[in-house]
Amino acid sequence: MSEFLDLESQDGVRMTWNIFPGTKQDAVGCVIPTAAMYTPLKPIPNTPVLPYAPLRCRMCRSILNPFSIVDYIAKIWICPFCFQRNHFPPHYSSISEDNLPAELFPQYTTIEYESTPDTGPAVPPVFLFVVDTCMIEEEIGFLKSALAQAVELLPERSLVGLITFGTYVQVHELGFGQVPKSYVFKGSKEVTKEQILEQMCFFTRKPKPSVGVIAGSRDGLSAESIARFLLPASECEFVLDSLLEELQKDPWPVPADQRASRCTSTALSIAASLLGVCVPGSGARIMAFVGGPSTEGPGSIASKNLSEPIRSHKDLDKGSAPLYNKAVKFYEGLSKQLVHQGHVLDLFACALDQVGVAELKVAVERSGGIVVLAESFGHSVFKDSLRHIFQSSDYDLGLSFNGIFEVSCSKDVKVQGIIGPCASLDKKGPVCSETVIGQGNTSAWKMCGLDKKTSLCLVFDIARKDGPEAIGQPTSNQFYFQFLTYYQHNDGHMRLRATTLSRRWVAGPGSIQDLLAGFDQEAAAAVMARVVSFKMEMEADFDPIRWLDRSLIRLCSKFGDYQKESPSSFSLSPRLSIFPQFMFHLRRSQFVQVFNNSPDETAYYRMILNRENVANSVVMIQPSLISYSFHSVPEPALLDVTAIAADRILLLDSYFTVVVFHGASIAQWRNAGYQNQAEHQTFAQLLQAPRDDADAIIKERFPVPRLVICDQYGSQARFLLAKLNPSVTYNSDNPPPPGGDVIFTDDVSFQVFLDHLQRLAVQ
Amino acid sequence: MGAPPSSQPFISPPPSSQPFMGPPSSRPFGGPPSSQPFGGPPSSQPFAGPRASQPFSVPPASQPFTGPLASQPFAGPPAAQPLSGLPASSQPFSGLPASQPFSGVPASQPFSGLPAPQPFSGVPASQPFSGLPASRPFSGLPASQPFSGLPASQPYMAPPTPFPGPPTSSSPFGTPSWQSPAQQGMPPMPGTTQAPPRMFGMPPHTPGQTMAPVPPVMGHSPLAGHQVSTQSKIDPNQIPRPVSSTSVPLFETRQGNQANIPPPATSDFIVKDNGNCSPRLMRCTMNQIPCTGDLLSTSSMPLALMVQPFALPHPSEEPIQVVDFGESGPLRCSRCKGYMNPFMRFVDQGRQFVCNLCGFTNETPRDYYCNLGPDGRRRDADERPELCRGTVEFVATKEYMVRDPMPAVFFFVIDVSMNAIQTGATAAACTAINQALADLPEGPRTMVGIATFDSSIHFYNLKRASQQPLMLIVPDIQDVYTPLHTDLIVPLTECRQNLEQLLDGIPNMFENNRVAESAFGAAIKAAFLAMKPTGGKLLVFQSVLPSVGIGSLFSREAEGRTNVSSGDKEAHKLLQPGDKTLKTMAIEFAEYQVCVDIFLTTQTFVDIASISVVPRTTGGQVYYYYPFSVLSDPAKLYNDLRWNISRPQGFEAVMRIRCSQGLQVQEYSGNFCKRIPTDIDLPAIDCDKTIMVTFKHDDKFQEGSECAFQCALLYTTVYGQRRIRIINLSLPCTSMLSNLFRSADLDSQFTCFLKQAANGIPASPLSQVREQITNLCINILCSYRKFCATVSSSGQLILPEALKLLPLYTLALVKSIGLRNDGRLDDRSYWVSRSASLSIPMAFPLVYPRMISIHDLASKEDDGSLLSATIPLSSEHINDDGIYLLENGEDGLIYVGNMVNPDTVQRIFGVSSVDGIPTQLVLQHFDNDLSKKLNDVVDETRRQRCSYLRLRLCRKGDPSGLFFLSYMVEDKIPGGLSYVEFLVQVHRQIQTKMA
Repeated sequence: MSEFLDLESQDGVRMTWNIFPGTKQDAVGCVIPTAAMYTPLKPIPNTPVLPYAPLRCRMCRSILNPFSIVDYIAKIWICPFCFQRNHFPPHYSSISEDNLPAELFPQYTTIEYESTPDTGPAVPPVFLFVVDTCMIEEEIGFLKSALAQAVELLPERSLVGLITFGTYVQVHELGFGQVPKSYVFKGSKEVTKEQILEQMCFFTRKPKPSVGVIAGSRDGLSAESIARFLLPASECEFVLDSLLEELQKDPWPVPADQRASRCTSTALSIAASLLGVCVPGSGARIMAFVGGPSTEGPGSIASKNLSEPIRSHKDLDKGSAPLYNKAVKFYEGLSKQLVHQGHVLDLFACALDQVGVAELKVAVERSGGIVVLAESFGHSVFKDSLRHIFQSSDYDLGLSFNGIFEVSCSKDVKVQGIIGPCASLDKKGPVCSETVIGQGNTSAWKMCGLDKKTSLCLVFDIARKDGPEAIGQPTSNQFYFQFLTYYQHNDGHMRLRATTLSRRWVAGPGSIQDLLAGFDQEAAAAVMARVVSFKMEMEADFDPIRWLDRSLIRLCSKFGDYQKESPSSFSLSPRLSIFPQFMFHLRRSQFVQVFNNSPDETAYYRMILNRENVANSVVMIQPSLISYSFHSVPEPALLDVTAIAADRILLLDSYFTVVVFHGASIAQWRNAGYQNQAEHQTFAQLLQAPRDDADAIIKERFPVPRLVICDQYGSQARFLLAKLNPSVTYNSDNPPPPGGDVIFTDDVSFQVFLDHLQRLAVQ
Repeated sequence: MGAPPSSQPFISPPPSSQPFMGPPSSRPFGGPPSSQPFGGPPSSQPFAGPRASQPFSVPPASQPFTGPLASQPFAGPPAAQPLSGLPASSQPFSGLPASQPFSGVPASQPFSGLPAPQPFSGVPASQPFSGLPASRPFSGLPASQPFSGLPASQPYMAPPTPFPGPPTSSSPFGTPSWQSPAQQGMPPMPGTTQAPPRMFGMPPHTPGQTMAPVPPVMGHSPLAGHQVSTQSKIDPNQIPRPVSSTSVPLFETRQGNQANIPPPATSDFIVKDNGNCSPRLMRCTMNQIPCTGDLLSTSSMPLALMVQPFALPHPSEEPIQVVDFGESGPLRCSRCKGYMNPFMRFVDQGRQFVCNLCGFTNETPRDYYCNLGPDGRRRDADERPELCRGTVEFVATKEYMVRDPMPAVFFFVIDVSMNAIQTGATAAACTAINQALADLPEGPRTMVGIATFDSSIHFYNLKRASQQPLMLIVPDIQDVYTPLHTDLIVPLTECRQNLEQLLDGIPNMFENNRVAESAFGAAIKAAFLAMKPTGGKLLVFQSVLPSVGIGSLFSREAEGRTNVSSGDKEAHKLLQPGDKTLKTMAIEFAEYQVCVDIFLTTQTFVDIASISVVPRTTGGQVYYYYPFSVLSDPAKLYNDLRWNISRPQGFEAVMRIRCSQGLQVQEYSGNFCKRIPTDIDLPAIDCDKTIMVTFKHDDKFQEGSECAFQCALLYTTVYGQRRIRIINLSLPCTSMLSNLFRSADLDSQFTCFLKQAANGIPASPLSQVREQITNLCINILCSYRKFCATVSSSGQLILPEALKLLPLYTLALVKSIGLRNDGRLDDRSYWVSRSASLSIPMAFPLVYPRMISIHDLASKEDDGSLLSATIPLSSEHINDDGIYLLENGEDGLIYVGNMVNPDTVQRIFGVSSVDGIPTQLVLQHFDNDLSKKLNDVVDETRRQRCSYLRLRLCRKGDPSGLFFLSYMVEDKIPGGLSYVEFLVQVHRQIQTKMA
């Protein structure tokens, strides 16, 4: 495994198969897709940033890299992707084997280029706050203080705007000095960008250009008129503060049997258009703070009538959520607009009820936005997450903007698509596969927002056919990949990160062991999780359990050691040994078992899954469990109900929730206050250790997970029990050991699952 | 009328009637009593010079006013005097050289003669304001006391106390306070008095006398010997002209159970309500109602009522009484729902009463029962206002409310587009509003709101304790909405400071506004939405043509000009609303009780034809300041606004006119919204608005019966009480044409013509309208000539005494701005819109302005009647060394000849030469007699007209001088006849018709 981690730390890439199946058939036979999890902005120590523009192949536009073959005499390099011979330009004339430019150093497979000053000055990032006001006063109070804090933390030079909404949308003109001023739009009506241009008087001092108005200063919009709505944080702090201070509950009356009239979609659409008018093509985030379901406008998710509940998974399945499709369609439109403009939508959804994350998902995900779901604006999940965004510290998110991601591959490899926070730019090319998954049919993707952890899942297609010609060129059994990421770094300058990889391929009989050697179980689990989530969303009547089971069985049939029809003879290579366990937990996870969650929660989990790297994905699939006791140092425990003991403390990290679980005895001792007594200092330490570890996890994670501290037999213990393998249930034959626990479920335990797997794999 | 007190004068054909029947002998109907008053029977020679007046000089009662009063000018004897030498009958102009009769008395004399002043003497005109120099109020705009001083306004502002009180309390609008100004202020209106003054000069109590004065046939003056050629024989100085009087007679509406003929509407008089309403409130075009429709059409006269339900009373009049019937509400006829009034007849010992409107016999409710006296009247009739007064107010019960009475809501909407800012209109509006805030009704029920607009609409949240107001912009001007549910309209007491601060700030806030577009329609719609829950008054300050958003307009004027060549046929279409949207909106406004007043402070075409639809439909009005001048107009703007909000008025009103069986309402006309045929909805109604109601016969009346009219106006006072104002008028019916002519009411008839002309202007080509109006006049005169006049000579133009000024006013009307060919579209549209709701007293100056000389003011006696010395509107009377003031109720033109004594110029204008007088005139006060008197005159006029005169300087030789001369309606102008020519033309046409 560690070799995969090394590879990841060098390039930010993990692949399911690090040795590729060499032909299409081989690839199909391998069951698990050939895919790469790539974290474009992963901080890689010692990566040089080159202050000049890259050299590109004049044929395929890929960038000079360590895999290029260089003829130092002729000053020529050969592109590994298309084999085009390129001359070095004059300023590379001094190149020689001893005098290599950084991009040719073999260890610099990942390298960055920074734009030269002539590409323009640094662009300040833009933050447009879109704030819901249909909330009880208490929530508004929480939100106000959180926002006020955020305003303080904003980078000085960043531009800020404010939109509030409820029944109506108010766009605040922060730059109007004399009185507080805002434009008020009706919530039930869509507003186009053209209307914004016209109605907010952007062209009163100059004639509006008759054609091709995208706006922005390029189209003659004066800085002055932009500065009415978007002001440097340093200049508008006072105005913003006083506006937030006065923020009040939406004044329109709400009958007792109705939901508040909340026009989330209109507000977001106006926000998007406003940014489109003011700063198109330049990094900007819409940060939406939503406190309830949208009931007004094209993106409404629920009727105003409280007697009609908000849609559930069941309603979606049955097609009895009439508003859902309309809303999704609206947000798809919005996502296109955002992507076109290069702007991000972040969603902070804080309510006990659903707010429509499921519908908003498409816009947030395509634009690469951040999403945080919490019960209340007073909850630490929200407050700390918001602070985390702006607070520069060790765990800085490194928010970047306006990214474009491009892929080049050897000609036998195609890209089916990307599952992750990005949007297709519809750039067709030879690299596009006919099979499409996620955002496909393109060789370039827009990533309006991306950060250090944003991870894309690229699914490849091996196009190479088995045949005589394959034998013709045995020398090049290497596939090359180049990932190019252009983005607006958070210092305001444009950068380009280039990662170039090479993987060997094998084909034909006898290749199984080679393939297996390159199999990355964790990456495979992460990819499978993304793929199954994707399929559940996109394919009607898709049965995820059956699909996962069949995939696992086929995988095991192909790579397992066994004698036919003899389940007991079945064994798996260590390369594959924990994969079934991942699949077992994936089947039980919130990604697959959606019916325990609301559509909003499901959407939330999947959005996070789709942007996280392999390690964190694995935690989501199979949470980690650490056991603390007097008997030993903290040690990982099996994710099994048998891990529970009265004298242990368990720390469960399921990514979204961190649970500190005190065994019954520990809880008693603690309640008796032993930890406060000097002679029981070790107990105090024991109590404290999991808390410290939990804090460490919380500190580095974004969104901030929910911390649950609970005791055995307490109601909150369900957060732990739900994740454990139910090896001991209420109808198990063998009772739990004293101090142990049972799980009240009819679900099969891992052992039963494995038994079945073995039986089926050997058929 | 003429008859003695006994009740049924006309029923049996009494001897008296005879006179009328036959072709009138020259002698009026000498009904016995009649002759007396005038003592001199007809023969009594034209007026015996000045002295003539004496005979009339009425008895003591009238004293204060009395005297010589009205009659003096012409001192004349009865009727026709000016014209006729002789009393009643025809002679006047006739045979004798026209000049003769008068010869003795040069026209001018009359004025000089008598001491008109006396009546008022007690109270110097200026006094009322005594506190402050009368002039002050008007001078600068800002002065807090616009018109004349406080007193005027006060009444209304006065705390609600008067009202709450049950019936006892006095008139709603606290007349008293209005009094003071009025008292002295109201000297007769010069310009207009047409009728022979004596008529009302009569002492009320002399019984029987009443009738006499009016001879059946009024002087018919021999206008032309024969054919037209006779012009030369007409002495322009002797043709009928309005006469002014300075006396203030007491007018009893009924006497001896007979309706009295009211004095001229433009004169000053005190009404005693004896069962019929004050003629100020309701006035009929004829004071006897024709028994049949045929008779009416034979007369060619219109049958219409002019209803001005809130007309300002004379301060000495008894206030209108308020009657509270408790929970049961006012007593009404169970069939026609007519309200109890003095003309309901109680029968069967009072157990039943017969409705005077529908004839139904109702049971008297037990608790309303009262015995009858020997005269058949209820014994309590004199204690119950509804049984003895023509006008009463009932307290409305819940039944009359669909909701709680609405608060007084005032919403101001101000144009802040580039033009408005740059011309200073915005600043003027803000200042005006700011100052006028003090004049809004006091109390917690007064709510205000404010919005501004250019190409978007800006609302202000005023309810922010000690915070700056919050500006909320509605940018969508196609589909508008209110940005807030509450807090846009806030009780004045809670937001005064905020509002003042905001009004101060608005001009600065938009100082650099570059938005030239104006979303007028959207702005009023949005403001309406904010007011929808309550209703109220929407006051809009607009400066440019509405160019964007709902109801936007385009500059049709340009189009109109280019089309002129293609013929005048379509030109009038430009006077029709260009767009239906505004009309639709206005109807919706009216439904929710929103009244829109529009102040147009503009320097360009704004399409009043289209815009005025909104105020017309909602009971509001248009104010027009063109070309807006930041120097001279803010004062008027402020005073107009102030009067608008402080004058007597009511909200959410519904009005219906009922009349006796035999007549039915044909049409209502004025500023209102009509959704069902019988009622008109008036989101707001105020003391300046008049509604014309025309009638047609659907049955016959019995000779000698009475025809009753009842106006019921249900409304809410500014202090939130729901009231029903009932105005009754009962008039005798006649089957004799001569009676009709004798009782014809020139004031109402002419106003009726004016309104008909105004209605016709947008509908048909101008030339056609002019022709129609001329024909109306000719037809009436022709009818009179044909059926009533003794034919002494076919060459005579015989005018009925009551209508002798009809030709002059018809001519003036035909030449007025609305009917002139050369007017700007907007001027004409404004004229049309103003005419629609114009009251009788204001209708006359509009077409026949009042002109007085001012260079010689100092030499005139300061007797309170400075205004009475009017000059006929003929350029003959204008001298190059003179300075004249011409006033039409709204604008004042000061004409300066080119030979004026520099000293006079210096004294009046403070500059040494005519050329040095600034065109944008602001009248200054200088410490000299002349200047003081001029200011007094101007202030007096303002007071009379309830309007702040916008002064304009006209210099001989300038275009402005020509403009002034265009008001000289008696002159011959290209395409228009002189007065004399017109008379000749009328005469000729009558002859043609007779032939």
